[in-house]
Amino acid sequence: MTSDQGVVFDLGYQPHDGPRLGRRGAIFATIRDGLRRILGIRRKARKKVMPWVLFGIAIIPVIAVVGVSFFVEDVFTGVDNPFASHGNIFTITSSTFLIFTALAGPELLIPDRVEGVLSVYASRPMRVNDYLGARAAALAIAAGGFLIAPQLILYVGLASLDDDGWFSGLVSNASDLPKVLLAAFFYLLAYGAPAFLVAMFAKRLGPAWGVYLAFMWLSSGFAVAITEATSGIWRYAALGALSINPDIVMDWIFGRTTVREGLSGADLDPIWSVAIILGLAAITWIVGVRKYRSLL
Amino acid sequence: MTSSPAGALISTSQLGHAYGDIVALHHLDFTVPAGRIGLVGANGAGKSTLIKVLLGILDPTEGTAQVLGIGVADDPIAVRARVGYMPEETCLPLAQTAADFTVYAAELAGIPTKAARQRASDVLTLVGLHEERFRYLGEFSTGMKQRAMLAQAIVHDPDLVFLDEPTAGLDPEGRAEMLSLIGRLGEFGINVLVSSHVLTDIESTCDWVVMLDGGRVLRTGPLTGITGSDTVDVELLGDGHDVIAALQKRGAEVEVRGAVLRVRSTDDAFDLIRDALAEAGAGMKRLSQSETSLEDIFLAEGGAE
Repeated sequence: MTSDQGVVFDLGYQPHDGPRLGRRGAIFATIRDGLRRILGIRRKARKKVMPWVLFGIAIIPVIAVVGVSFFVEDVFTGVDNPFASHGNIFTITSSTFLIFTALAGPELLIPDRVEGVLSVYASRPMRVNDYLGARAAALAIAAGGFLIAPQLILYVGLASLDDDGWFSGLVSNASDLPKVLLAAFFYLLAYGAPAFLVAMFAKRLGPAWGVYLAFMWLSSGFAVAITEATSGIWRYAALGALSINPDIVMDWIFGRTTVREGLSGADLDPIWSVAIILGLAAITWIVGVRKYRSLL
Repeated sequence: MTSSPAGALISTSQLGHAYGDIVALHHLDFTVPAGRIGLVGANGAGKSTLIKVLLGILDPTEGTAQVLGIGVADDPIAVRARVGYMPEETCLPLAQTAADFTVYAAELAGIPTKAARQRASDVLTLVGLHEERFRYLGEFSTGMKQRAMLAQAIVHDPDLVFLDEPTAGLDPEGRAEMLSLIGRLGEFGINVLVSSHVLTDIESTCDWVVMLDGGRVLRTGPLTGITGSDTVDVELLGDGHDVIAALQKRGAEVEVRGAVLRVRSTDDAFDLIRDALAEAGAGMKRLSQSETSLEDIFLAEGGAE
């Protein structure tokens, strides 16, 4: 005999008998969550707007120029073309990346701390280094997309215009790729570390964005002003141009001799800029570990 | 349920923690078995500090602690892999939905993504948030937030879950529901350590108690052993003078508490009362073993400290 009545089966509580990925799983989950936060994925619409608009600003001009190059001769070889080299692309995207980092750094750290979510991490198999490292990795992956994607489009675009064929172009320009990665790494450190440093102490996102951008732009403004007005030992003030230091390193990596307005008088070896960038990153890491040790 | 080889869920030896000059925990020595453990104490007694030390968030300034048979200082990651924690303060990302955050909480404990989704759905149903699971946590009421916090604490099927003041801020109905949920955790094979300054919450959910006062262990033991007593309460019909006299003649100590006489005797108090009632020709409404509440013990012993 059958019944037309539904039957509810209460399965009760089901224990988890499957695998547990431990610390590795926790780290990868934190990286994934970080990427979602930065890009506004699975968040309200307003959280998605800025990162994707900035990503569009960084990438669409390159796509457009590469696309046009198929129809208009000498687009890439024109002397004044701002898209003619990897170095120029970095110069263009770095400003957008600075704003992107201003948004991403605080978004990665502040809500966890202010909303008490660190307590959840504290009951999971991870350490302070794992947490901070995973957050930095999320920023690095996003930065990779932001800084490297336009470069790859350019790389493929340049190869497609090679007289000896596309594949030959890829091979002959392959030596640029390590330089692109290295330059992107320094942009990430130079812009990401101060963003994390601000985010470790700020309690709200808006003020953190403002403080970070003011810090980066004003430091460069002051450095330029001091360098222009003084000489001798004061020329080292040029190293305080936090937003310009990675440009100087990038020029060095690509062998360019770009004149940085206001800083050319300092005439400092680019290795100093490298040291400033690495030093600031190291300080950020140490401060972060000390601050988060009692929270996590 | 999982516990250390010696059968202890948690054990401490001379455990202490100090915030600078302020000593929060003094030489704690206790062992608790698997089950539902109540951690009782007034605000500032050291309950939250103890939980943080057991989780490895705070380092002990002296002594040692073992959780599930693992030394907390030796391998905090191994301890954390097997426990859950619901803190006293809110711990929810307001820009995420309950479902997304619970999945993430499971993944953070190493549960693979597919299983994490299934477990999050099951646990949110268990805590009564299934219908609300796609709402943002920032839109939740206090009671719903407490449930979401409980969900994240158990979504990875821990062996032991620490609940720090789980009923804080809840209305009476929400409190009753939360206590009912906590009571069910034991049925699922999850050991529970509930911290609360509301002693009735502990009495209704736990079977073992650790009482803290000023960072020291006041009492620890099974709830029945702590609240049981060697006295008998008798509620009389009418005047009790003759009964009291008859009891005292038989060597009993009698304490008058309104209409109730609390009788203590080295002999069987029940027999003594029967004889005294017969001699005085008095009637009674109620006769029962006296029960001491945790509050009585706390006031008596905590005050003495």
